[in-house]
Amino acid sequence: MTLEVMLKTMGIGMLRTGGIFCLTLLGSLPLGMIVALLRKSRIKPVQWVIKIYISIMRGTPLMLQLLVWYFGPYYLFDLPIKGWRYPAIILGFVLNYAAYFAEIYRGGIESMSVGQYEAAQVLGYTKTQTFMKIILPQVIKTILPSVTNEVITLVKDTSLAFTLAYQEVFSLAKQISASQTSFIPFVVAGIFYYVANYAVAFVMERIEKALDYYQ
Amino acid sequence: MKKTVSLILALVMIMGCVFALAACKGTDAQNNSGESDAADVSKDDSPEAAYVFLDEKLGIESYAIGFRKDDKELADQVTAAYKALVKNGTYAEIGEKYPDIKDYLNLKAEDISDDEIAEQGSGDANYTFKHGFDLDFPPYSYRQDDGTVGGFDVEMAQALCEYLGWKYEPVPFNWDAKDAELTAGSCDCSWSGFTLEGREDDYCWGITYSKNEQGILVAADSGIKTLADLAGKTVGVQTATSAYDMLEGEDGKSELCQTFADLKVYETYTIAFSDLKAGAIDAIAIDMTAGAFLIANDKK
Amino acid sequence: MHILDIQNIRKSFGDNEVLKDISLTVDRGEVVSIIGPSGSGKSTLLRCATLLETMDSGTLRYMDEDVAFMDENDKLVYTKDLKKVRGYFGLVFQNFNLFPHYSVLKNVMDAPVHVQKRKPREVKEEALALLETMGLADRADAYPCQLSGGQKQRVSIVRALTMNPEILFFDEPTSALDPELTGEVLKVIKQLAEQSMTMVIVTHEMAFAHSISDRVIFMDGGVIVEQGTPQELFEGTKKDRTRQFLQNYKR
Repeated sequence: MTLEVMLKTMGIGMLRTGGIFCLTLLGSLPLGMIVALLRKSRIKPVQWVIKIYISIMRGTPLMLQLLVWYFGPYYLFDLPIKGWRYPAIILGFVLNYAAYFAEIYRGGIESMSVGQYEAAQVLGYTKTQTFMKIILPQVIKTILPSVTNEVITLVKDTSLAFTLAYQEVFSLAKQISASQTSFIPFVVAGIFYYVANYAVAFVMERIEKALDYYQ
Repeated sequence: MKKTVSLILALVMIMGCVFALAACKGTDAQNNSGESDAADVSKDDSPEAAYVFLDEKLGIESYAIGFRKDDKELADQVTAAYKALVKNGTYAEIGEKYPDIKDYLNLKAEDISDDEIAEQGSGDANYTFKHGFDLDFPPYSYRQDDGTVGGFDVEMAQALCEYLGWKYEPVPFNWDAKDAELTAGSCDCSWSGFTLEGREDDYCWGITYSKNEQGILVAADSGIKTLADLAGKTVGVQTATSAYDMLEGEDGKSELCQTFADLKVYETYTIAFSDLKAGAIDAIAIDMTAGAFLIANDKK
Repeated sequence: MHILDIQNIRKSFGDNEVLKDISLTVDRGEVVSIIGPSGSGKSTLLRCATLLETMDSGTLRYMDEDVAFMDENDKLVYTKDLKKVRGYFGLVFQNFNLFPHYSVLKNVMDAPVHVQKRKPREVKEEALALLETMGLADRADAYPCQLSGGQKQRVSIVRALTMNPEILFFDEPTSALDPELTGEVLKVIKQLAEQSMTMVIVTHEMAFAHSISDRVIFMDGGVIVEQGTPQELFEGTKKDRTRQFLQNYKR
């Protein structure tokens, strides 16, 4: 196999990896916020459910969760799972990362001083306004470094999609390595992950800088 | 500060790649120089080969096509069609493309009678045959030089569908999850160098189309000549393979395994082979076909 | 009509009764200072009046409108329209509580525009004028982290004023400031007093309370011990507890 063919084949895998990455962030960043807010809900059963959800998502391997999401519908409900592979991968990643993001958000929200809420209340802001205008922007700034960490982990975690035989870059690297008895595909994959994470770090640093105008 | 650090990291990374590339080129060159002597790489007992199989084998098993237990009708249909492909020479023709396994393809056209075979085009044209296979298993099913999916089993399955008039759908799966995939119906069969022995009651078996012998691969100059010589040595094996099952299983060669200093279990044979070349392990327990493939590619 | 009318309010935190039957009225244009030792309940009184704490019993009225009262079963009920009530008062915090991600001007303008739904242009004119009178005209585009403590507190006063409240509460407005910065804040409060702003000020600045107040209230142990004009309280108090407290503040 020429290097050109290898790069071309793995390039498709990189696009697929990028697809998982983007869809996961798109789903889990907002979902995490909803989970974080439900976690602080005044209705006790809701709190319990969310607590259990977070503890399962964080307490079991993502690989196992992917298997459950994909095969679960068949084994539990006898449903056909044709065409369910990709949705199951995205669902698995989104739900897992939402749990981690939720805990980051919660930490951020709890770090806000009571004074901010009280000032907003005295000025007559509604609860929604207080959250959206006063609390959330400050929370985002506080949690940005933790989110960066999590996003970088996600870039690397995308390789777990191989569990469900999704042909992303790492699966392809393994296959090509097996057929070519060569480590070069892994080196290519390594460079890809590094460059991707470098880009993530670069973008996040830019965002952090953009929010540096206040303390 | 941060920029400097990342720059240094990037440099280290690039240097690492260059080094890796150079290292690969280096071994290639070395092997090329010795290749003129070792003309036929599949003849691993030629004295000049750098890596050889021991004459004593671990055991012999067979590859067959596994279906869901309640899918006997489909299994029979595929078997009949497979036999037709043997009879009409397609099997031998495709086998010619894979010299490493040619000797193990044990079906002969003359052994098959006309009443055993399916008729051409006798399949339901609306049926899509979902071929489940592992993409990490050359030369039966793997990613080929041009980046496409191929291998002996894949080509046979495609030819079989064409023969019957079925639509063909490749379903690459993760080998560890093959049972779940099969049970859940995302594929119709497990067909990529799938060992029959030890699983007789777990599947409805279609045709047995290939022998698969397990052997011990060692460096030619290692001084290891027999299985008994492996006592006190470190042996590598890939997880979830026949060789692994033999060494780790309750029957089979577990007693032999007891004599090893250590049995190292790898994710892939590629990594195990690198460890053998580096001298980190003394031998690899492996399917002969897969081992021959490793040796052949090492020479390329 | 009283701007603020508090009758018989009680408030406990667990077993600790912080406010024991406090009554207080404030009329238009009045400047009332509340003094007393730490833990006397003066901040809690302010927080009950500004709805940051719910009281246990008693009545609370602004502009002759019921805000909190006892129903026929002797249970405390708050009016539904708290948003309207919050428009009657402003509160200046000890720790400013400015919004750090908003510029000075945005801090001041945001609530009038988005809570009171007033026209941005009109609010901006008013806000800039107020900042000007507070000596902050050149700081309109700065962020809170770029301001000194005294400037922050003046911005938070402007923020409260832009809401056009009937009455302004101050919760120890200079306690978090370096001594040399308290002067500039006290100056603007004095300025407001001269403009007949109705104010209730919880403070430890005795000289300031003396000079600015129409009435001074001395609280201790959850009750109002004594109230009267600054002269009555600071110079001619009859109560031992008051005298004892004031002595600690003399040099």
